[in-house]
Amino acid sequence: MTTKHVIATAHTRSIKNRFARRFLRSLLKMKRSNRLGTGFQSNEDIRKRNTQRIKTAADRSMARVVGPRKIWSRALLFKLRNRARIQVGLRNRCLVSKKKKVQRKEKKVQVISREPNRADNLRKLVPGGDSMDICSLLEETAHYIKCLATQVKVMQSIADLYST
Amino acid sequence: MDLTTGSGPELDETGLDSLQLGEDIRHLIAAPSENASSFTALLELPANQAVELLHSDSGRKQYPNLTFPSNTALLERAAIFSVFHSSNSADSSSVPSNSSSKSLEKGSAVKCEQLETETYLDSCQPLVSDPTVDNSAPNARPSSKRKEREKKVKAASKKSKSESSQQEEEKLPYVHVRARRGQATDSHSLAERARREKINQRMKLLQELVPGCNKISGTALVLDEIINHVQSLQRHVEFLSMRLAAVNPGMDFNVDSLLAAESGSLIDSNFPNMAMPLMWPEAQVNGNRHQFQQHWQFDSLQQPVWGREEDSHNFITPENSHLSYDSSANSASLHSNQLKMEGRMKLHQ
Repeated sequence: MTTKHVIATAHTRSIKNRFARRFLRSLLKMKRSNRLGTGFQSNEDIRKRNTQRIKTAADRSMARVVGPRKIWSRALLFKLRNRARIQVGLRNRCLVSKKKKVQRKEKKVQVISREPNRADNLRKLVPGGDSMDICSLLEETAHYIKCLATQVKVMQSIADLYST
Repeated sequence: MDLTTGSGPELDETGLDSLQLGEDIRHLIAAPSENASSFTALLELPANQAVELLHSDSGRKQYPNLTFPSNTALLERAAIFSVFHSSNSADSSSVPSNSSSKSLEKGSAVKCEQLETETYLDSCQPLVSDPTVDNSAPNARPSSKRKEREKKVKAASKKSKSESSQQEEEKLPYVHVRARRGQATDSHSLAERARREKINQRMKLLQELVPGCNKISGTALVLDEIINHVQSLQRHVEFLSMRLAAVNPGMDFNVDSLLAAESGSLIDSNFPNMAMPLMWPEAQVNGNRHQFQQHWQFDSLQQPVWGREEDSHNFITPENSHLSYDSSANSASLHSNQLKMEGRMKLHQ
């Protein structure tokens, strides 16, 4: 267990660095686009939209840093990309006509019907958890928890630096 | 080695005497102990006793008399517990189980339901305390028990080797698992047991990750704890993103220097290389940033000291000398610089 732990800590540090860098870059991009774009929306809406953006930026940068090696990162990237595409599509269609209702095409990778298990709550939480067996679900959860913890740490430090 | 009636320390003395063999066994165990199946855990726990058993195997049958009574009790209980999960009896199945398990080595992984090995492992825990209790028992044991012990030992050594070979073979799609003594040797149950052990390993990993999970016993509660932890982490991320969104429109120019600060602090060795090139383009972009530049130069000079927390005082006092700049933006940036350094300390942690 000791060697695993050593590997885990070394890995976490580099994940933290890479995530921090990427996240800050995305924040910068968002800031610049904010500076250019807005003005016609209320502050509240701007803030709400920015929260969502920041959260997706954090998730996306974390998933990118982890890479396609893990199931949850792949599923997360896929979900974010779909969501972005759907939102863009919705926006375009809304411009055309507001009366038509747009039906979302949700692509599910796999539909596995199982008996209600204790772990299905976990499946809902971990991205991509639906199509995993319990064994890999536990493995993915462990990695996911580790990455979430580093994400929280980095974001916390950034928030502390920002807020006087 | 004196043969006085046993007590706790006496057990240790004999253990020390056979330390060499104990080391070997521990090395044997250490490799597969990462994916510790419950059997190797069993082997690990009474390692000293197992060592003595092997010693007795090699011919020294004088002194272990006293410790063996406890060991036999241990082994009997282990056997009983293993028997508890299967229909085979302890004594009769020892030989046939070995032979049939050999034939099963060529079996493929098929799923089947069986009892938990966790209870097996849990049952081993209370057995550790038993040797100390049973050590005071008299050593009048029949020799048949010793034979059973030796069989068990041989089986034990074989099984530990098979466990270590199992580790190498785990990468194959088929897992060759040797049946443990007293357990069902069905290929289905073998595969199922291997799968269950994998799951148990992962659960242990998760228990270590999630704080406060070590004390909880039972998979359901641990799972609930894990779910709560993941939910709390996700909520934390959302909350932090809300905070960042609230703060973001305020500080404008800080972001660029912040990027340099963050990337610099996180990449310790590369800071002098990174911060300077990052700094200059930013300084050129914004005119009133030359004060930042000077701060950064000063900071990079102090760079090698930054890793240590106790030097934070050194930074703040020279920084205060810069307060003579006397612009509100500057003082705000000074303050933020100090905060950055403190933040960097935190990041270094």
